[in-house]
Amino acid sequence: MFDRYTPPFTIETENISISVEEENGNLVYRRDLNGDRIEKIILHKYGEFLINPIEPVNIPRALSSFLLIDFRRPAMVAPDDRQTIHLKFPVEIGIFVSGRESDHELIDIFTLTGSKFTLYGNPTRGLICKYWQSDVHSSYTHPDILHEGDLELEIINDTNNWMELTQAVFNAYGMKMYYGSDRLSMKAQMRIISKSLAEIDFMTFPLAPGFLRSMELYTSRKILLSSTKSIMEFGL
Amino acid sequence: MNVTDIMVWIPALSDTILKGAGVIFILIASVVVGKGLTIYLRRYFKDRVDKDHLNILMKVIYYGIITLAVLVFIFPILDIEASSLLVAGGVVGIVIGFASQSIVGNFISGLFLMTERPITIGDQVNISDNAGYVEDINMISTVIRTYDGLYVRVPNEIVFTTNITNYVANMVRRFDYVVGIRYEDDAERAIDIIQEILDREPFVLRNPPAGIFVDKLGDNSVNILVRIWAPVSEWYELKTRMLWIIKKALGENGIEIPFPQRTVWFASELQTKRISPAENEPIENEGTN
Repeated sequence: MFDRYTPPFTIETENISISVEEENGNLVYRRDLNGDRIEKIILHKYGEFLINPIEPVNIPRALSSFLLIDFRRPAMVAPDDRQTIHLKFPVEIGIFVSGRESDHELIDIFTLTGSKFTLYGNPTRGLICKYWQSDVHSSYTHPDILHEGDLELEIINDTNNWMELTQAVFNAYGMKMYYGSDRLSMKAQMRIISKSLAEIDFMTFPLAPGFLRSMELYTSRKILLSSTKSIMEFGL
Repeated sequence: MNVTDIMVWIPALSDTILKGAGVIFILIASVVVGKGLTIYLRRYFKDRVDKDHLNILMKVIYYGIITLAVLVFIFPILDIEASSLLVAGGVVGIVIGFASQSIVGNFISGLFLMTERPITIGDQVNISDNAGYVEDINMISTVIRTYDGLYVRVPNEIVFTTNITNYVANMVRRFDYVVGIRYEDDAERAIDIIQEILDREPFVLRNPPAGIFVDKLGDNSVNILVRIWAPVSEWYELKTRMLWIIKKALGENGIEIPFPQRTVWFASELQTKRISPAENEPIENEGTN
């Protein structure tokens, strides 16, 4: 499903139906999902459409740029150790249209997974985060990429103590997603500084050759970023 | 007037013109220096200090430079002694002070409000029984647009001395429902149903968790208290939506919201007649209580 399409085209998979048809000299985009229909007229004849995963913080509303992944079972990390785990993250799918100058514009977002929000930290200074729960895996998780992706997280324990990890907070605006025909991955690094402080950053290279990098929303929206890192300062 | 008389006047006149020109030059120079310095400082502090504080700081610096130029350069040129001004200014100051007491009070309160910052523009607040959005915070007053669309100007002195409720100061906010069910209904089942609904709703926060428990055995119902935490931006919309969803889900599962009811016991047996539905005629006598 994640690919470039030239209209007219129709995609039907699971309970999604996406189509772009020519109508009275314009293009009409239609998307049906669980009985909800979105229809948009695109006043352009030669648009190319790109369907790819985007940062999963936009549905039902972009309240926050942070994604909190809650570990179903806590993970223990030894002092001065470096371990790699795999988590699953929710997938949101973005539909982009591009004109002749290949500038992409987002026209629709949908997801096949449920959404939930949570508060990380205290009510005064905390963060509203998109919530997702995942098991902790030791290798690639082989998720259904229309629903979930695989997040490879390298954990570096810089402290002299054993650390128990129960959650990880990611700044979605730093996410770099790479996808293939049946794989969707991100790679991040968590550096534990103390019992209540960690720094998470994303890697900007694919897990393997042949992967395509997802169109990122902040690029599309021209949001300027100074950092791709997120700081967990209210506990691990 | 002959030439000699004119020649006598020229030095005095030139002295006055020079002084006037000097005063104007110093004023212009101080304005230019003030503007230049504030533009430079504004650029320097743009990303370091927030806009409200920066505006105040720049105004203080700008008018401070002009005041300093007047005191240090212009007064000596005009042969004005600052000490004599203090005496005259003292009397005038007392008069103006009494006249402008409330204005100064509001101004000082405005400064403190901008420093303490209990509210910012765009916040939803309740100040002195005026609930709505903060539209503007000026030096003298604060403007509120009430929820029913009224413009309310509240003097800063009142804002500073009264209780301020800021509805959006924190990230999350709670609302409560009381859901009454019949005594014959299973309260634990009702709690499970409500929990399932809250788990499905995205804006009902996972943390802090919702609280659902039997709170009271009421006159007519078992009261279940539902406490829901939501992001402040979604709080109102969620509060107006969730109660009916809960009511419908309980109803679909056979759990009803009871009407008020009362059981009446009579001291003695009542004599009643049962009426035939077809003929409206009495068919037998019954005693009930």
